[in-house]
Amino acid sequence: MNWSEFKNIFNDCELQGEKIVIHSNLLKTIEFVKNNYRFEILKEIIAVDNGDSTTELTYKLFSPEDSEEVLISINVQNEAESISSIFESAIADEKEIFDLFGIRFNGNPELKRLYMPEDWKGHPLKKDYIENDERLKWNE
Amino acid sequence: MSKLKLNLGPQHPSTHGVLRLILELDGEKIISCEPDVGYLHRGMEKMAEKLTYIQYLPLVDRIDYLAGFFYSELLCRTVEKAFEIELSPRVKAIRVLLLELNRIASHLLWIGAFLMDLGAVSPFFYAFREREIILQYFEKISGQRMMNNYFVFGGVRRDIGYLEDVENFLKILPDKVNDYEKLITENPIFLQRTKGKGVLDKKTAFNFAITGVNLRASGVSLDFRKGDYLYKDFEFTPVVLEEGDSWARYKARIMEIRESAKIAAQALEILKRENNLEQTLINPLTLKLPEGEYFQEIEAPRGLASIYVKSTGDSKPYRLKWRTGSYYSVNLLRKILKGAYLNDAIAISGSLDIILPEVDK
Repeated sequence: MNWSEFKNIFNDCELQGEKIVIHSNLLKTIEFVKNNYRFEILKEIIAVDNGDSTTELTYKLFSPEDSEEVLISINVQNEAESISSIFESAIADEKEIFDLFGIRFNGNPELKRLYMPEDWKGHPLKKDYIENDERLKWNE
Repeated sequence: MSKLKLNLGPQHPSTHGVLRLILELDGEKIISCEPDVGYLHRGMEKMAEKLTYIQYLPLVDRIDYLAGFFYSELLCRTVEKAFEIELSPRVKAIRVLLLELNRIASHLLWIGAFLMDLGAVSPFFYAFREREIILQYFEKISGQRMMNNYFVFGGVRRDIGYLEDVENFLKILPDKVNDYEKLITENPIFLQRTKGKGVLDKKTAFNFAITGVNLRASGVSLDFRKGDYLYKDFEFTPVVLEEGDSWARYKARIMEIRESAKIAAQALEILKRENNLEQTLINPLTLKLPEGEYFQEIEAPRGLASIYVKSTGDSKPYRLKWRTGSYYSVNLLRKILKGAYLNDAIAISGSLDIILPEVDK
């Protein structure tokens, strides 16, 4: 993909290593990259808890025609835009992130617990998760 | 017309693990399908944050117990790339040989189980007969049939042997695959249940992030082994079929077994030539991954598998994430089962080669 052209359209971004870090317009950016640079597969969304109440979401997109990969990353608080209208596989990724990190994706139709039981307290992969659920007591 | 909600699974024998599908039916026709997973969740990613790398290594085989080598390889590769370790030709050949034998074993099990889903019992026994040879070979070299724990950071646990076993197996395999094909491929019942059923077009496959054999059976030549550093010196052609239906997915796996056997034979040639097992092993007790983010991926039997590790320079990862192919195939059921008949639901979901430990992690 053409970085300088991309930078002209979306000013609010910078290149950090191999990642493009954006600060806003997630939906528009992903849509633009998909339509203009043929990144047709969303390989995965990686969530990392930064430890300061923000979570970094990294979108790993792949272009089968050019065998090229791009990483777009954004820091969010507790809410993010859902990209399930652009990539339907994102429904699954976002559902997993909601379960493990507790981030609400606005526009995702399937936002509910995935691995954890429906009445489970907290989101296990967050750094401030307290492991004192009474169901784990038998293990001690 | 009243709608019926049907619960399929989680203990249904043909869901290959514990997958629950909530189907909405209009007569025999499926209006909507909602997969419900998580019955096998073991917290693989949470455990990674609590364990050192060497403590975590034996666990990763269990993410997909039918293709454990691929996940070991990913974790080892992450560490090797971080320390810029160059593997010797013999180690590389050992890894390729075992990965491809593992792929053959995984596909053989799929063929047996898929045909069993369709009601044909005998192919299961034939496929398991050949798979048994591979598992016995794994046991000989690593002491384990399935969760091998054979790859270590910088090499393999011990040198490989009993190459004549592999040679004999690769000699008989093409004939055995011919036998399966005689039995299955042109069988009229099999054709009726799979031809034109569960058609997955290229666009939908991209949209749902389907990779691996399922994608290649829909006419896309995308094999992540091309461009993989392990497979650089090996010659093979990715199997591509155009139809995109259940039958094409079956045929593609059969063809991939033959292709994998060719790669394994090439690896065997290298192993006979290169007798020197040079390894740069890392001391796992003092292993601390340098600060940074690591991305690695490999073509596993059920699609693209990848690992992401974020390290803060500690002996344990700060965050570790797995991507597995089956997770996206389960999500695809939502789309692909819509409009199909209930009696095809098992055949279609079976043809996608879903394995639940990999989905639930």
